[in-house]
Amino acid sequence: MKLETHPDLQVELGALRLRVPTLMGSGCYGSGEEYAPFADLAEIGAVVLKSVTRLPRLGNPTPRLAVTPSGLLNAIGLQNPGIEHYLAHDVAKFASRPCAVVGSVAGFSVDDYAYVTQRLAVRDEIHAIELNISCPNVGSEGETFACDANLAEAATKAARAVTAKPLIVKLSPNVTDIAAIARVVEGAGADALAVINTVRGMAIDVDRREPRLGNAAGGLSGPAIRPIAVLAVWNVAAAVRIPIVGQGGIESARDALEFFLAGASAVSIGTGNFTDPRVPLNVTSGLRTYLAQRGAGSLREIVGTANPGFLGPA
Amino acid sequence: MRALATSPAIHETVVVDRRETLSGIVILGLYAPEIARLVRPGQYAMAVPPGGERAATALGVYEARDERISLMLAVVGVRTRELANLQVGAKLDLLAPLGNGFDLEALRDDVALVAGGVGLASMLLPAQHLTASGRRAHLYYGASTAEALVDESKFAELGIGVSVATDDGTRGYHGFVTELLERDGRAHDVLAACGPSPMLRAVGRIARLRGVRAQLALEETFACGVGACWGCVVAIDRSSPQAPRFPQASSAWDGHADAASASEYVYARICKEGPVFWSDELRW
Ligand SMILES: Cc1cc2nc3c(=O)[nH]c(=O)nc-3n(C[C@H](O)[C@H](O)[C@H](O)COP(=O)(O)OP(=O)(O)OC[C@H]3O[C@@H](n4cnc5c(N)ncnc54)[C@H](O)[C@@H]3O)c2cc1C
Ligand SMILES: Cc1cc2nc3c(=O)[nH]c(=O)nc-3n(C[C@H](O)[C@H](O)[C@H](O)COP(=O)(O)O)c2cc1C
Ligand code: FES
Repeated sequence: MKLETHPDLQVELGALRLRVPTLMGSGCYGSGEEYAPFADLAEIGAVVLKSVTRLPRLGNPTPRLAVTPSGLLNAIGLQNPGIEHYLAHDVAKFASRPCAVVGSVAGFSVDDYAYVTQRLAVRDEIHAIELNISCPNVGSEGETFACDANLAEAATKAARAVTAKPLIVKLSPNVTDIAAIARVVEGAGADALAVINTVRGMAIDVDRREPRLGNAAGGLSGPAIRPIAVLAVWNVAAAVRIPIVGQGGIESARDALEFFLAGASAVSIGTGNFTDPRVPLNVTSGLRTYLAQRGAGSLREIVGTANPGFLGPA
Repeated sequence: MRALATSPAIHETVVVDRRETLSGIVILGLYAPEIARLVRPGQYAMAVPPGGERAATALGVYEARDERISLMLAVVGVRTRELANLQVGAKLDLLAPLGNGFDLEALRDDVALVAGGVGLASMLLPAQHLTASGRRAHLYYGASTAEALVDESKFAELGIGVSVATDDGTRGYHGFVTELLERDGRAHDVLAACGPSPMLRAVGRIARLRGVRAQLALEETFACGVGACWGCVVAIDRSSPQAPRFPQASSAWDGHADAASASEYVYARICKEGPVFWSDELRW
């Protein structure tokens, strides 16, 4: 018996249609170009660009990275050239990417989110916007938006008001009730939710008696946070009807399946690319095999099926 | 450094040889014909962890000839231990060749090569190129203890003089290799160096005092190794050819120094713009 190896993996995040359900995590994949020698970009769903802010940022002092058990601590601090320079020098070259391109917007005020989203979203090279309201590495301000329902709502509404393009809002796990924030953000007009950004953490060098990161605290990613991320998706999937982009420590199709079964419609791979740039392609081929072996014609059929509370995209 | 036009890729290699020194340094010989052909002195590879779970490991390419390359490993943590445990016949996938290596064209005759510990791994290919083009070189090589000094003979075979230093005085000069370099006082035109950063800073200082430029191969914790994450940066002069294009810093700069100094430097990626930088352009 020949297995049907081409089940439908298509996914829609609002009006953003992806042939395969894999997005490359913001800040982990550059603009795609950096990974082009190692991965066929035509075989990934989308690259989410590094977050951009209104003004240029030099980023955090070094060291910015520490490898921890099955994880990675980072405190990059949103190093980026600022929206004006970005629009003038960088965005045009994204047109040649053979996958979808999602712009990522970070800010320090509601007005920042509105301004940068508007400037970026008008560009044809950008197919959707992800609102990074959950960066843990820029002092207290950056993450405040994802940790306070009123601010999360205000930032989402402000971005929604200035663009009709698909709007993904990225949530923080560093909250008491992520489902409550998710509900508010859905109500404010988000088309999809990215769940989760990094988990706050720290590592201390016991010989030097100081934190290993220049910024002291950082964001933890990689397999170490996967169970936290799966639970967050599970809880959010029982609270909203918009699609969820699950992420946190995905390195294989089976890892990704945990997220799909919990209720994610798509997944994002960040740190997994640092382990092996073939991870995204392994995920899609592994998903096809899994679905074919179970006689499923599409990925959609299995989304949320492990989660009794799953509401499902309407 | 001048940007190299290389074509990196993922290469599936096989361990064909494994040596372990008394001090626990492991040298893995790999069948890797493409890398052997393409690699330039000072370039490195990212080793995909056979067991997954962690970011790939940056390693200098030590030797490259006859369809083979080798890597020199100091075991300092989980990933280097996993790699050091690979036996003959094991598979190892490498992203390579990566980074801009040394600018050997810029070197004249009589070059000082300075290596600390497994920094030696990045010194053999430049030594071979220099001697092949008729230029003389001298290796200053430092390690913690006599047992940790490896493979000096490979340099001696090239006709390169070797001066060694050990931290505990068990062989050669008792002290840092940079002190040895300083005392030697020879009028080297240009220095190339490799190893941990305190040593590199010292080499940079010596070069400045002697009015020469040093090429330094930097190390920092890497995540992607391909320029995607901005995790491996070093501050360099804004005017350096290696500085990423970046507008003047603004009030949004988030402050570990004053805004004035911030406007003079930018962060460059060690993995992409480097790993080799001119010592006089670093702001560290
Ligand atoms: C361009 C480049 C080339 C390189 N070439 C080589 C080479 O040729 N050969 C080679 O052996 N290495 C080389 N390195 C270094 C090598 O990449 C690192 O040693 C390796 O990544 C370490 O991985 P690990 O998991 O074994 O150690 P990690 O766990 O990542 O630890 C790294 C360092 O941090 C220290 N550390 C970890 N945890 C703590 C803690 N809690 N407190 C204090 N200290 C801690 C460890 O002792 C160790 O010194 C190179 C690096 C770069 C960037
Ligand atoms: C080095 C690094 C940089 C990151 N930068 C950003 C960023 O600029 N914006 C953002 O929204 N998320 C950023 N993230 C978070 C990732 O996009 C992702 O949500 C998170 O790491 C969890 O997924 P993972 O375990 O697959 O990496 C970054 C993560 C890492 C490791
Ligand atoms: S390690 Fe990612 S940019 Fe250098």
